[in-house]
Amino acid sequence: MVAQKITIEPVTRIEGHAKVTIHMNDNGSVDHAYFHVNEFRGFEKFCEGRMVFEMPSITPRICGICPVSHHLAAAKAGDKVMGVDPPRPATLLRELMHMGQIIQSHGMHFFELAGPDLILGFDADPAIRNVVGLIGADPELTTRAVQLRAYGQDIIYQVGGRRIHPNFAVPGGVNHALTADKREHMLSGLDKAIETTQIGIQIIKDWADANIADIEKFAVFHTGYFGLVTPENGLELFDGDIRLVDREGEELELFSAQNYLDIIAERVQDWSYLKFPYYKKMGWPDGVYRVGPLGRLNVCDKIDTPLAQEEWLTYRKINDGKPVFQTLYYHYARLIETLFAAERVRELLDDPDLLSNDILNKRFDFKGEGVGVIEAPRGTLLHHYWAKPSGQLERVNLIVSTGHNNWAMSEAVDSVAKTYVKGPDVQEGMLNRVEAAIRAYDPCLSCSTHAIGQMPILVDVHDSKGELIQTLKRG
Amino acid sequence: MKTKTLVIGYGNADRQDDGVGWHILRDLAEKLGHEVPDDPGAPIEIEGETVDLIFMLQIIPELAETISHYQRVCFVDAHTSDIPEAISWFELQPEYEKSPLTHHMSPKTVLSISRIIYGSAPEAILVSVRGFSFQFNRELSPKTAALAQEAVEMIWNWTEASSPSA
Repeated sequence: MVAQKITIEPVTRIEGHAKVTIHMNDNGSVDHAYFHVNEFRGFEKFCEGRMVFEMPSITPRICGICPVSHHLAAAKAGDKVMGVDPPRPATLLRELMHMGQIIQSHGMHFFELAGPDLILGFDADPAIRNVVGLIGADPELTTRAVQLRAYGQDIIYQVGGRRIHPNFAVPGGVNHALTADKREHMLSGLDKAIETTQIGIQIIKDWADANIADIEKFAVFHTGYFGLVTPENGLELFDGDIRLVDREGEELELFSAQNYLDIIAERVQDWSYLKFPYYKKMGWPDGVYRVGPLGRLNVCDKIDTPLAQEEWLTYRKINDGKPVFQTLYYHYARLIETLFAAERVRELLDDPDLLSNDILNKRFDFKGEGVGVIEAPRGTLLHHYWAKPSGQLERVNLIVSTGHNNWAMSEAVDSVAKTYVKGPDVQEGMLNRVEAAIRAYDPCLSCSTHAIGQMPILVDVHDSKGELIQTLKRG
Repeated sequence: MKTKTLVIGYGNADRQDDGVGWHILRDLAEKLGHEVPDDPGAPIEIEGETVDLIFMLQIIPELAETISHYQRVCFVDAHTSDIPEAISWFELQPEYEKSPLTHHMSPKTVLSISRIIYGSAPEAILVSVRGFSFQFNRELSPKTAALAQEAVEMIWNWTEASSPSA
């Protein structure tokens, strides 16, 4: 049998796309596989020289899918640079906007991206293995799914005044208060959002029960886990300290985001543009960890909202209280977080301070340097700014969620390719599983351009002589 | 009865030619007599008598509901060298196009979702302009800027020809 090389790669020079290379043995099995990210860190350079007050407006343009995370992380970094604490109502409003972001992003991911794979099957006809196919299979569920995402988007709009790129949070607080009618509007859609999320949770649990064999062999590996926690080690998506636990769930570090450079180092590999963060004390590769829903539910000891807590207790029984390491459980974790976010929306809307006009603190005590941290839907997002006394930025460092998961995505691709891809005639369903391994992490690949003609993933199959024998494109 | 036209520009105006949709929308807004923002990438959401204009960083699923209220929709984007024409003009049919990542949704996919979930999809065209430079810059490259002017006229004529009073 002829040895093959399968390449899944971008077709243009514009960054933001992944490339997967699968090297096959002569016997038709996979020898090893890589996940390459062609990420260009140009946005940091682009921000240098800008004013710290501009950053909440500039950085959301990094990403059209999670602009709120960058918006809020930038405002929080600005708080630190300017040495100012926002008033409590402003913090509540920021968190409310963030919960909207979590609901819309997680909702879209599960129901519209991952759901078709799970509900219709990895090997289903690609022509129907999508949200449209899902409509055929369950029209009511699909309508609910769209409404769930829209509900999250609407929270962002009600709080921030814009549907896409909010102009809301600023260093020291936010620039407008919430009105009572908007609060009532958000409350009116909440029960249905919770109900839809619970339907999704039941779907993933039923699916897991029926597909446990796949779960136990699909990208299964151990890492550390990393994410924000409350002061009592509860699930935290908006603020707090960062907790790092090992593969057994034992705490390695609990630290302020301001000190992240003391804890994390970044490894450079010659086959990827994206660096590989790891825990300094354990070194490379023992110190690799995962972020995002799986990481967050592994670093917390509880969830402070009742429905999500109940579900988390069930979730943590998967490995008898030890961290859940099976990649496909990212989907389950994502929905538990969605439930938490929806419940947290209710708590925030019920808070008597939410409608206060005390939303901006202008008593600055300039510090010149600061880190803003937030749990973006995909994981911990860090904005680190260094500014002159004028507020002009001299240096910017952004660690995006996908960076933390870089090693894990590579490992997942390698593992799934070895488990499922068999040559010489590589089937679409096999490659779909490789993509599904990436999708589980819901990566953001710095996709700041989307011109027509860009191809997120292209699959080329080469034989041992380098001859192209198969191509599969992903639009 | 739906009679209005919607022009949707999308792209990243911080990435030079990727944001050509914003520049085209701004010029269309001016021709329609609307006030326009100066800052490339600034929000454009204009409701007119017969033509509405929206600019977005990228296409998102909620757009399916929005377009279901229109008779005609024109999507405006940049394209890379993979498409040979300087200005590309396509009539679109609803078709779900699979993407492996959450970050990519095509106009055809949005039309498809609109038709299936909301019961109707508008007549739609996609106008794309060749981008030559995608650096971190808010000014279009000279070649794309020139093409954008041509595209504005083409889209303007299309909106005029398809308007109820034409």
